[in-house]
Amino acid sequence: MIRTPLRPLARILRARDRGESPDAIEHENIRRRQEDMRDRTRERAEGRLLVLAAMFLCAFVVIGGRMGMLAASVPEEPRASSQGAEIRAQRADIVDRRGRILATNLETFALYAQPPQMIDPGNAARELARIFPDLDEERLLGDFTGKRKFLWIKKKISPEQKQAVHDIGEPGLLFGAREMRLYPNGKLASHVMGGTRFGREGVRAAEVVGVAGVEKYFDEVLLDPANGSRALTLSLDLTVQAATERVLAGGMKLMNARGAAAVLMDVRTGEVISLASLPDFDPNDRPRLPPSTGAADSPLFNRAVQGVYELGSTFKIFTAAQAMDLGIATPDTMINTAGPLRWGKYSIRDFRNYGSELTLDKVIVKSSNIGTARVAQEIGAERQQDFFRDLGFFDPTSLELVEAAGIKPLLPSKWSELSTMTVSYGHGLSASPLHLAAGYATVANGGRRVVPTLLKRDAPQDGPRVMSEATSANARRMLRRVVTEGTASFGDVPGYAVGGKTGTADKPLETGRGYHEDKVIATFASIFPAHDPRYVLVVTLDEPVETSGPEPRRTAGWTAVPVAAEIIGRIAPLLGLRPDVEPGQLADITLTSN
Amino acid sequence: MSYLEYTVKSVPAGPRKVLYLNWALILLVIAVAGIGALMLYSVAGGSFSPWAEPQIKRFAVGLALMLIIAMVPIWFWRSISGAAYLVSLILLVLVEVMGSVGMGAQRWIDLGFVRLQPSELTKFTLVMALAAYYDWLPGPRTSRPIWVLLPILVILLPTLLVLQQPDLGTALLLLIGGAMVMFLAGVHWSYFAGVVALAGGGITAVLQSRGTEWQLLKDYQFRRIDTFLDPSTDPLGAGYHITQSKIALGSGGWTGRGFMQGTQSRLNFLPEKHTDFIFTTLAEEFGFLGGASLLGLYVLILVFCIVSGVSNRDRFSSLLILGVGATFFLYFAVNMSMVMGLAPVVGVPLPLVSYGGSAMLVLMLAFGLVQSAHVHRPR
Repeated sequence: MIRTPLRPLARILRARDRGESPDAIEHENIRRRQEDMRDRTRERAEGRLLVLAAMFLCAFVVIGGRMGMLAASVPEEPRASSQGAEIRAQRADIVDRRGRILATNLETFALYAQPPQMIDPGNAARELARIFPDLDEERLLGDFTGKRKFLWIKKKISPEQKQAVHDIGEPGLLFGAREMRLYPNGKLASHVMGGTRFGREGVRAAEVVGVAGVEKYFDEVLLDPANGSRALTLSLDLTVQAATERVLAGGMKLMNARGAAAVLMDVRTGEVISLASLPDFDPNDRPRLPPSTGAADSPLFNRAVQGVYELGSTFKIFTAAQAMDLGIATPDTMINTAGPLRWGKYSIRDFRNYGSELTLDKVIVKSSNIGTARVAQEIGAERQQDFFRDLGFFDPTSLELVEAAGIKPLLPSKWSELSTMTVSYGHGLSASPLHLAAGYATVANGGRRVVPTLLKRDAPQDGPRVMSEATSANARRMLRRVVTEGTASFGDVPGYAVGGKTGTADKPLETGRGYHEDKVIATFASIFPAHDPRYVLVVTLDEPVETSGPEPRRTAGWTAVPVAAEIIGRIAPLLGLRPDVEPGQLADITLTSN
Repeated sequence: MSYLEYTVKSVPAGPRKVLYLNWALILLVIAVAGIGALMLYSVAGGSFSPWAEPQIKRFAVGLALMLIIAMVPIWFWRSISGAAYLVSLILLVLVEVMGSVGMGAQRWIDLGFVRLQPSELTKFTLVMALAAYYDWLPGPRTSRPIWVLLPILVILLPTLLVLQQPDLGTALLLLIGGAMVMFLAGVHWSYFAGVVALAGGGITAVLQSRGTEWQLLKDYQFRRIDTFLDPSTDPLGAGYHITQSKIALGSGGWTGRGFMQGTQSRLNFLPEKHTDFIFTTLAEEFGFLGGASLLGLYVLILVFCIVSGVSNRDRFSSLLILGVGATFFLYFAVNMSMVMGLAPVVGVPLPLVSYGGSAMLVLMLAFGLVQSAHVHRPR
């Protein structure tokens, strides 16, 4: 900036000539300069003010416009559960195939405190300790008078408790609405339901999330507001489930078993009508941790789905069916049953000596290991593997339970000829009772693959064909004869034509090598009615001992079979089946008389 | 240009000063406070207690204080502005210490008839201090870095103390109010552009980092920011106030439901209905017309402040009046934006209307200063 000098020489000289004081010139110049500066400052200040005023104006326009917009808007109440809300309340109900409630929600309240708002923390702590005996007055008082601004006191309280807390009259004690998952049937179908816990929670709502079973599998569906409050319909039948569990529990006690499992499945649709595993638990109050005795003994463990056992002789029917389907044998083909059958250092024995030869039919009815193994040798390892793969024994089932996803049958690591022989009568391959039920459904329904499901279906599955109709019919007849004249004679329920196959497998030692002498898994896989099968029922007992005789008896025929028969006798009327005379027997009689 | 360089003779003295008050401004303030009392009466369900009566009493006290302050020459106030700023800083620290020692957090000091919040007081002592600073600072130095740094510190110190309480709304008001005074004082615009660019860049960087490896905040912190910026995503939680107040404004329509006929606010749908969210009651009962009228009154107050400030040739007086006006503007603009869902919910009261002694009293003191500057302006 070039400044004009305060004492310009020319003017000062001129002024001196005129005899005036040069200081006056300087003063005037100082004054002028100051005025200039002030003007500049003013100009700038006014510019600044103009900018600010423009900003103010904008703000006014925006606020006024917004006010008008809102005034013109139609007021709309916020929806209880809007999409994208932080916490999604309102979990959908779960119902059985006839619409009966299996899981629903209950309004409860959570109790929390905001100590800064408290008037009399001492009184509040005392009264709370009186209403909830499990709360400690000293600790509450410490919390209320400490630094904390917020604390949860109880996550779920009843309406009576809420009123009692309300009556304390303490403004620092507040309630938040909570939706609680309720299983009104208690322990019923506990392993299917699984259970829930609170997820993210706020003061006004808490999210309920599944921790196991269908609750976890269908978590997203149940929470999706788009589904509204449409209930999830399962294939289970509440009454059948109740009867199954009741009888199974009684049978387990009678047979002194450690645990038991039962699966009832529709052979055509694959719908699981009842699924029981004992011991069970109450999903309303899910136990926290498995007991120290091991996960497999936990009540949370679902034996029917997660339990992988060697299911023994129940597998023989698959071998027989494949042999018939391949044309290797007919029910009347004679099979060499002379034993023991030696293979390397192993030898295969039968429970009793059945003589040197039996028909294939009799091999199944009498349950000959040697006979089945010989048939399997004919079939060969590769064809056997293909067949078991088709029956679903190579993969986890696709049942809609989170627990089912990881459960894959244990297959022989190397499928040698010896493996082929042992697998044929159910050793060396471990599978869950659910896998077995699905395999039996295929044998029973005319030879089509079915996938077990927990969702209600209206139509048969019509899966890929695994065996021919004729093979299926022959296999059904064999299964029926196992009951009428074979190992499962206790399984006969008059009028319902039960067919099935027993299986008694020694329990493997915990060390992994070798087997227990006196601990078995007894299984009875049954179909009924055998001439036109509608359902398959698999009952498995863990370490059963039947002690009514002079010696303890452990075979499935003495343990699992009577329990299964009792279940069938109870549930068949519930399923709408009427006692019936078997057409097959009549036909046989007619043929004989001719 | 400092006051003593003017001729003081033409400034009115004695009781004659009353005639030179800015009476329009006083009447406007009384009108707004009247509306406030009316709304408090309505919110209480047609009763003077518990809010309307104490509010009216406090306003009367505030009015008296305002007149007393107006009678005292402005040069006296200028001479104590530094001290006032320091006192309010000390009070802020004091409250902080007392708050952490005693039970719970405490933002106020009990004066008997009113609980004084030092953070409210600071809003105007800060404006005083800045005005005095720029009055003292020779013009050419205004934009020198070292002379810019000092007022920045003067602003940041109380802002951080208030943020510590924590009171985000007041802290923001302090920051922006102080910046406005600096802007009016003529600090070079590049400083403001720099700060705005830095803040904008920082915020963008933080938001952009979301989902990348160098994420600057935790996920839950981002979610909080989301709900803070857009409360409508959580209508029953963080967005509850906003949702309800929007309903109230909508149900008021253009002409309103009539005095004491508001349902939304009277039926306790709205928390804070007598304090920060009182505007919703007004909008519901008197509609757009009522809301716009109140906005108009505020605008008039602001206009009178600006006119008075511009016409005042004393630099301190001018900056003080404009600073008080700007802070006043921030108060109601932020509150109204918040209530109407334009801005996040930060606790800022509606000036002269919301229930609350501190804010009202301090605002009246500030208007007292404005009046004093107006009366004692150089002619």
